Amino acid sequence: MNIKIVDSWLREFLDTKASVKEIARELSLTSVSVERTEVINGDHVYDIEVTTNRPDLMSVIGIAKEAGAVLPSQGTPAKFIEHKLPNIPSADISFPIQIENNPRLVNRIMAVVMEVEIGKSPKKITDRLEASGIRSLNNVIDVTNYVMREVGHPCHVFDYDLLTSKKMIIRESKKGEVLTTLDGKEYRLYGGDIVADDGSGQIIDLLGVMGTQNSVVQDNTKRILFFLDNNNPRNIRQTSMSLGIRTDAAIINEKGIDPELMEQAFKRGVELYREIAKGKVVSKILDIYPNKRKVHVIKVSNGKINNLIGVKIEPLKSAEILERLGFKAKNINDSLEVTVPTIRSSEVLIDEDVIEEIARVYGYHKLPSVVPSFLNNKKTPYINNFYFENRVKNALKYWGFTETYTYSLISEDLFDGPIENAVKLKNPLTEDMTYLRNSIVPSLLKVADENKNREVIKIFELSNTYHHRIKELPKETLTLSGLIKKHNASFFEVKGLIEELFSDLGIKNTKFKNRTEGPGAEVLIGTEKVGYVEILNSSIVDFEINFQKVLENANLKKIYKPLAKFPSIIEDITFVLPDGTNTQDVVEEIKLQSFLIAEVSLKDQFKNARTFHIIYQAEDKNLTNKEVAEIREQIIKSITEKFKALVK
Amino acid sequence: MEEELLGIKNNAVSLILDTNDPKELEEIKLQFLGRSGQLTQTIKQLPKIDPERRKEIGILANDVKETIENALKQQELRIKNQESGERMQKIDVSNPGIKPPLGHLHLITEAISEITNIFERIGFGRVRYPEVDWDWYAFGALNFPEGHPARDDWETFFIDQEPHSKYGPMLLTPHTSNGQIREMENNKPPIKMLNLNKCYRRQSDVSHVPMFHQFEGLAIDENLSIVNLKGVLDYFVKSYFGEKRSARIRPYHFEFTEPSFEIDVSCGVCGGLGCKLCKEGWLEMGGAGMVHPNVLKNTGIDPNKYNGFAFGWGVERVLMMKEGIEIDDLRLLYSNKLEFLEQF
Repeated sequence: MNIKIVDSWLREFLDTKASVKEIARELSLTSVSVERTEVINGDHVYDIEVTTNRPDLMSVIGIAKEAGAVLPSQGTPAKFIEHKLPNIPSADISFPIQIENNPRLVNRIMAVVMEVEIGKSPKKITDRLEASGIRSLNNVIDVTNYVMREVGHPCHVFDYDLLTSKKMIIRESKKGEVLTTLDGKEYRLYGGDIVADDGSGQIIDLLGVMGTQNSVVQDNTKRILFFLDNNNPRNIRQTSMSLGIRTDAAIINEKGIDPELMEQAFKRGVELYREIAKGKVVSKILDIYPNKRKVHVIKVSNGKINNLIGVKIEPLKSAEILERLGFKAKNINDSLEVTVPTIRSSEVLIDEDVIEEIARVYGYHKLPSVVPSFLNNKKTPYINNFYFENRVKNALKYWGFTETYTYSLISEDLFDGPIENAVKLKNPLTEDMTYLRNSIVPSLLKVADENKNREVIKIFELSNTYHHRIKELPKETLTLSGLIKKHNASFFEVKGLIEELFSDLGIKNTKFKNRTEGPGAEVLIGTEKVGYVEILNSSIVDFEINFQKVLENANLKKIYKPLAKFPSIIEDITFVLPDGTNTQDVVEEIKLQSFLIAEVSLKDQFKNARTFHIIYQAEDKNLTNKEVAEIREQIIKSITEKFKALVK
Repeated sequence: MEEELLGIKNNAVSLILDTNDPKELEEIKLQFLGRSGQLTQTIKQLPKIDPERRKEIGILANDVKETIENALKQQELRIKNQESGERMQKIDVSNPGIKPPLGHLHLITEAISEITNIFERIGFGRVRYPEVDWDWYAFGALNFPEGHPARDDWETFFIDQEPHSKYGPMLLTPHTSNGQIREMENNKPPIKMLNLNKCYRRQSDVSHVPMFHQFEGLAIDENLSIVNLKGVLDYFVKSYFGEKRSARIRPYHFEFTEPSFEIDVSCGVCGGLGCKLCKEGWLEMGGAGMVHPNVLKNTGIDPNKYNGFAFGWGVERVLMMKEGIEIDDLRLLYSNKLEFLEQF
């Protein structure tokens, strides 16, 4: 959450000669990040990113206190200036509105009725509000925003005369209740919002988020109810997000504010009303505060402080840092006893929280940097799955393929198969990103489609696909898919690619079988199906491989075979084979005929005639023509009989 | 006879060395070594020589023959080389080359390889944990309180499925930090892990993509400190971005680390002086911190004995910061326009 802090305002509470640049730098390095500084209405403005654990810094005073603590540690003198606020002269008229609180929703309420004169705020106030990114409306509204920014507790103001029932019931909203906020927008509530009800069921405030139109201050308002509420942050977050009302008050309230801060905000508000709106207190002050926030003590050993930070920090130095930050710190027997102030008590809870305070103000930049030398407990072989993934990606790159990264979230029409099987998002961002994909091919086809101007496309992706399982996390399967688009795209180009890819991974028993789903082939390793090649049309052939299964078979085993000592004999035999004969079957049948056949491959094909290239090789002798002739006869006999073939 | 042989040798060799014409060389060969060549004719006279000197002269004749033959061979080779050299000089080297096929790896893949290699050198082994996980691993065990904004429907994608009785709702991991829990659950310290994976957040605009990549480092041992985290961080920054870049850590807040840091790297464009791309010379890289004792407890590791540090940074982020290429719309990375992919 970002907040804009005006420099002149800050310096009302911070005594320092440090320049704007110095303050920005030191705050960034030791506290909260000052993202930029700019000049607005002649004043410097710090744009600060406050982390969610530090709502106490969402104010001028919060930042001034912090700067007063951290600047001196970096050698820049600075001191927080505390403004003592006068006690409010309470009127002797009892508080006129009956408030029924729900302590689970609201932990503190302070309120008072005042007579005011509506008008414009002085220039100093409007300038500061505007520079802080807050629109100035009129003096009565401006006070609430000014106090919120200065002290850090949001405030609200009602037109007292619109609260005719003189009753206010704080309760959770019910689903479907309707209200109109002060900016005139109508909202239907989802339920669970903190609302004020006037006793008749009518909502007169959406607490901690935004006021409602029916109780808002008007141009003719004479009396106001100045009202501060400290709300349950969870309800506020839910309301603000579900209705999309992101007011500054909501953003602060959803982080949880120290109720102890309320008194200061309340006093400051009344003071300002008296100063700029001729304000006059006309009722007693109401203060409902069911659960007081308490301080707590953390005892942390100096040894632990030194170990976690990594350098030795003198106990006195640690205590000094903590004291400046508003903690109380005592050195007792080599430990620090630290009392946490209420404003920090919801987030400084354990030793490490205290050590962080010491370390950051000490200065992270003062710490040395040392790479820890230990090894981890696991054996991590160099040749692992990641190695093979890279190897395959590189192979594809050098074979001319371009890698894509498409979204794993897809629309219904990119899902392969019945959509009931899909892993589906409960809260998708858009309709085209609603399901987790179970196949990458549709995404690749989409890429091809989006690059229509290309005549030739060769793309691939290696990513997870997701498969629904009952009562279990979906199965995430690493999947390799690719696509070739060109005029007369060839099945054999993809087949060859897969064969060589697998062969490079040490997989020798790759097989291709006709596919029942359509034109193309199933890809097998041994007898296990690992993927498919699909001939989509005359210009697109795609493939998808279960890469997990490939990894199970991948290896870099090197086998040494002694070089041949005797020459081989090579010859070609041509068979005329009937339609539908598998070349692979013929090759295997030929190989079966003799152990002296070292290699068989298809050399050529013309119509039904297929020429096989055969290499005969003996390890221990020169083969004679006679020996080869015998094997050849056997081959011819077997192939002609088994496949009803003719030899040419 | 002796003189005659030596004369033939000298004569032949000088003729051979003088010519650059292969035809002439052939003629010289015939002139000396041919059937009626000078040397052949002379050798034919050998039997007429005094038997006592015949052997000696015979050896000399052979020697002369070898010398001439060698000279012929060498000259022949020299002429050939000269000719092909002349031919090669005539080609137009500006004509296009015959290229092997070359595709392109995605920017993200390249970045992941670099990151992995850098961390492996200092002992962080890469792992991969689920992208779809239970709330417990993504939030609960990481010390996120109930009702934390990151756990609500506006920031994280949830799966439309029954919550687990123990681990809560199923979701798309919004960070790689679930890897911390899974690693610590399955391994005893010392641990040095690098989890690198896809992550998902419910946002999409010029600087956010609903799917992105993170890398998560985790180190657990006895007596680790902020000093060690700084060591690893500096090592990565120098290795990945180069010697000229430097890193700094600032206070920040995360639920699962205490203390928590935000890491800045000096801007590569302005060299740290401050420019449009950076904040006062620094670019935010991501978060880090000392592992929160509750996180250790949640995975069964004794926080009184062990501690450690963790960091989680965006691959897209460090990539942009490294290259100094400001891709104006991050969504372009996943748009898969070939025109874009083929630039890298």
